[in-house]
Amino acid sequence: MTMISNSASVRCAGHTVTRQEVEDFLYTEADILDHWDYDGWLALFEPGARYEIPTTDHRPGWSPHETGSFVDDDWDLLRARVKRLKSRKAHAENPHSRTHRLVSNVRLSEGDTEDAFRVSASFVVHRARDGHFDAYVGWYDHLLVPTEDGLRFRLRRSVLGHESLAAGARLSFIL
Amino acid sequence: MGSNPRTVPAPMIVEDWDQLTFRVNREAYRNAEIFARERGWVWMHTWLYLGHETEIPNPNDFKVRTLGGRPLIFCRDSAGEVHAFLNSCPHRGTVLCRENEGSTRLFQCFYHAWTFRNNGELAAIPDAGAYESSEEFGASMGLRSVPRLEIHEGFVFVAFDPDVPPLLEYLGDAADYMTMIEQQHVGGMTTLPGTQLYSVRGNWKLAVENAMDGYHFAPTHNTFVGYLRESGYAVTDDNQYAYNLGNGHGLLVLTGHGGRISMLWEPRFGEDERVRTEAHRAEMTQRLGEKRAHHVADESHILFVFPNLLLFDIEGLSIRQLEPVAPDQTDVRAWQLVPREEDPDTRALRMKTVVSFVGPGGLATPDDIEAYEAVQRGIQATAGTVQPELDYSDMSRGMADEVKGVQGRSIDEGAMRGFWRQWVEAIGLDDGLEIHGERPASFLAGRDVR
Ligand code: FES
Ligand SMILES: [Fe+2]
Repeated sequence: MTMISNSASVRCAGHTVTRQEVEDFLYTEADILDHWDYDGWLALFEPGARYEIPTTDHRPGWSPHETGSFVDDDWDLLRARVKRLKSRKAHAENPHSRTHRLVSNVRLSEGDTEDAFRVSASFVVHRARDGHFDAYVGWYDHLLVPTEDGLRFRLRRSVLGHESLAAGARLSFIL
Repeated sequence: MGSNPRTVPAPMIVEDWDQLTFRVNREAYRNAEIFARERGWVWMHTWLYLGHETEIPNPNDFKVRTLGGRPLIFCRDSAGEVHAFLNSCPHRGTVLCRENEGSTRLFQCFYHAWTFRNNGELAAIPDAGAYESSEEFGASMGLRSVPRLEIHEGFVFVAFDPDVPPLLEYLGDAADYMTMIEQQHVGGMTTLPGTQLYSVRGNWKLAVENAMDGYHFAPTHNTFVGYLRESGYAVTDDNQYAYNLGNGHGLLVLTGHGGRISMLWEPRFGEDERVRTEAHRAEMTQRLGEKRAHHVADESHILFVFPNLLLFDIEGLSIRQLEPVAPDQTDVRAWQLVPREEDPDTRALRMKTVVSFVGPGGLATPDDIEAYEAVQRGIQATAGTVQPELDYSDMSRGMADEVKGVQGRSIDEGAMRGFWRQWVEAIGLDDGLEIHGERPASFLAGRDVR
């Protein structure tokens, strides 16, 4: 992951976005996911957005279009994923995992386009399921867009800090 | 196993041709002695899939890997030759290479600084004069190669037993399905970086069964089948067959599940891809002939090469390697295999499509893992000696057809039975298999695909 700047705010599409707004957005998202409100979660994305999780041997600059990955969802697949997770037939998450998310080290910087900006943050996601308790740590590397209705994801990317996925730690939930 | 009391109940497998039942003792998935036998007999005496040649494309490239619990270095030397060395210093046994991958001419042990060339020769011992007749000593202290290494169509296999038969003989009919993979594109295939490394709480044989099991597809992957339907593709169980290829190798031939990137178009791939697929198909027909092109392009194949390799030649191509670490735990490594030369749009479509199904973050594989982890937990219910007759899993589906000589269907359990028969022979238990009645003449049905 490339280092990004640590400014308290960033200018984007005529808006000034503060770190506090971004933190509130990420905390809200964590709360939505921990409460398994997947329609609420999908509403945090702009249409056409993407969701990605690179593999654990990922190196900076790798594109999911050219390498293997864990999740490489375009808009269609992201909606299919949400629809699936809401079904009782998503066996890998029925019963649901319990998750508890911590988000910190939030930093903002300019994006490559005028209408989006980058957010980097650290996460720890704890997950309880089947009598086991796993911790997932890593970095978020998102592209966000300011809209009339608040911030939205254009790209939501979770980069794991693990060497591999531990036994039982499959990514059947949203990381 | 020495003089310890035996803990393996007999028999492990009961096949009954009068009742048409095939039962597998559930101790096979949880017994420590069975696990030790698998390590000592199966992993020590058969060919094992190590990796693909394209993972180390350049001279001096290396990767480390573990097979049967043994740390190995998989490398290409400065002259371009592929090697597999025990990743252990000949001096006192230290793990020599502690990086997962990279490029180097020399491997240096950090403990006492012995240094080795990437062809295995000892390059330097600090203060070598302290050893008697140091030249002879040095010659005996090279890196230890795995006794056998052979490559078929880029797939690198090794054996810890020098007396295994030649690889092609061992692979038998499975070899041609690997050739069919290499023939998919005129420029050949290559692995990509971005390896799915994950571990499951289940016995490795449950992963094999799951891959050879078309019966579970509709119920287990209900949500994924729904997604395929919505994107305009009907999924059927028709014309899908299972083949025992001998030596425990198995094959599912699937024609009712989904399209194949650049080979068999379906609506969710989009119109541009339709045009590219037609052009590619015309090229294949020219190169391979209509019949062979049909088998290569229009059928999905799931190939199992006993004991640790699964090739998912479905929408795209995934290589999956199984490494048992405990009776109830398996490390899985999965690579994507792609045409060396490919239109960037097709490549992007391929990656998205493949990853949407396979891997621990996909829309389907997590349900498979859930299924066999649930088996691993559930079979505790019948463990123990109170009602030993209950401690068996049933794999009889399709035996009636097998007796009649009807080709086994992928939604039956014939491919699993082929695997288990090989397994029970390979673990070296003479009373592991109990047969009642008369076995039908032939289990092997060859296919004319050449
Ligand atoms: S153990 Fe490697 S140099 Fe001594
Ligand atoms: Fe499956």
